[in-house]
Amino acid sequence: MSASPPELNSGSTELQSTNWHPMYRREANRPSSWLWTVFWLCAIIAISLFFVPAFIIRPFRHQAPRALLLAMALRQRASVGTLIAGVACFIFAFALWRNAGRWAKSLIAIALVVVTFSAVMARLNYFEWMFHPIDGPQFLAQSDSKLDGKEMIMAVRLGDDARAYPISQMAYHHVLNDVVGGVPIAVTY
Amino acid sequence: MNGRALHFYLAGINNQNFLMRDQETGSWWQQITGKAIYGPLQGAALDLVLSDELTFGEWRSESPSGQVLAPVAKYTKEYDSNWEPDVAKLPVVISFPGTELKSRDVVVGLSINGAARAYPWETLAKQSPVLDRVNGTPLLLVLGPDGKSFRVFVSRIDGRDAEFFLQADAGSDGKQWALVDATTASQWNFQGCATSGFSQGKCLDRIPALKDYWFDWRNYHPETTIYKH
Repeated sequence: MSASPPELNSGSTELQSTNWHPMYRREANRPSSWLWTVFWLCAIIAISLFFVPAFIIRPFRHQAPRALLLAMALRQRASVGTLIAGVACFIFAFALWRNAGRWAKSLIAIALVVVTFSAVMARLNYFEWMFHPIDGPQFLAQSDSKLDGKEMIMAVRLGDDARAYPISQMAYHHVLNDVVGGVPIAVTY
Repeated sequence: MNGRALHFYLAGINNQNFLMRDQETGSWWQQITGKAIYGPLQGAALDLVLSDELTFGEWRSESPSGQVLAPVAKYTKEYDSNWEPDVAKLPVVISFPGTELKSRDVVVGLSINGAARAYPWETLAKQSPVLDRVNGTPLLLVLGPDGKSFRVFVSRIDGRDAEFFLQADAGSDGKQWALVDATTASQWNFQGCATSGFSQGKCLDRIPALKDYWFDWRNYHPETTIYKH
């Protein structure tokens, strides 16, 4: 019963002696506060450029027209934006690192990890991880196809070329670029 | 687009109708409309290529020299022949309460000079062939001999409106399947071409139509009417 208060006390004196609290450091080093501000600003920009569109354009959720526009606008600028903001983040982090305490350092490290993650994800098309695209589609003569006669297909005829795209396949790949009768087409399902 | 071939990739989802982007300009395109909704080509629209939703059996008999997209070996596990009932179970994010159809009801949608109409699949299946008129254009909507393929035609022979009905002795196996028009009493196949009779050799004009879920069709055609028998 009377053991806990002394323990708390000893804890708090330890805090002060190790000097780890970021606020403590900030007080001691006022000129770096603007550095912190720009560091967090860069980090928030880089992180939002990936996460805001990813959050808006998520499956099974309603997309409002204005939110969608914002998502596309951010995503359009994300690969350049995350690169610039990310590099700036690293530069400011470097400047902050030496005078930062242990807590501050872990915060910087976490922010840098998330920023890097955002910059990488802004360059990757994760929708194609769920639904792999077909690059260079192959075709079979209809006599070589093992498809059942009852299966549904999408059919296109242009000039002398007739193509069938089984819906079971298109419902997975969703988009297919093809050339039929000399006409470039996008087949979608 | 303007003489340049664009290549598309899946880029997101907008209320369960997907978004694609083109590799050449990075513009964003809505699947159902083929319109660029954002980016350098915003406002542009792709030309729609007439296409069919048929059973493989129907297509095979129509296109003996046709080619079939080959399955990609490493994804064959992902292909789902049972996609329709599976997708029907997924939740919807937009709905139109007060309309006569449910979100996941399947419709055949068409649009003629801006006037859109949706034909519930169940109605078509029961009543095929369906004769209708949208924006002054006489239409023939018909399910194929397999009961799963569908096509929409302008029901006009030589510029004159025509009525069609299913040949009486069509048979349940679909082998004798044919449409007959009331004007020239000619027989017509599912491709919309007269195979015998006065009109032999003539073909009806096609109308592009889309098999879609009601919620998606309604979302992109807010003024759409629903066909009633």
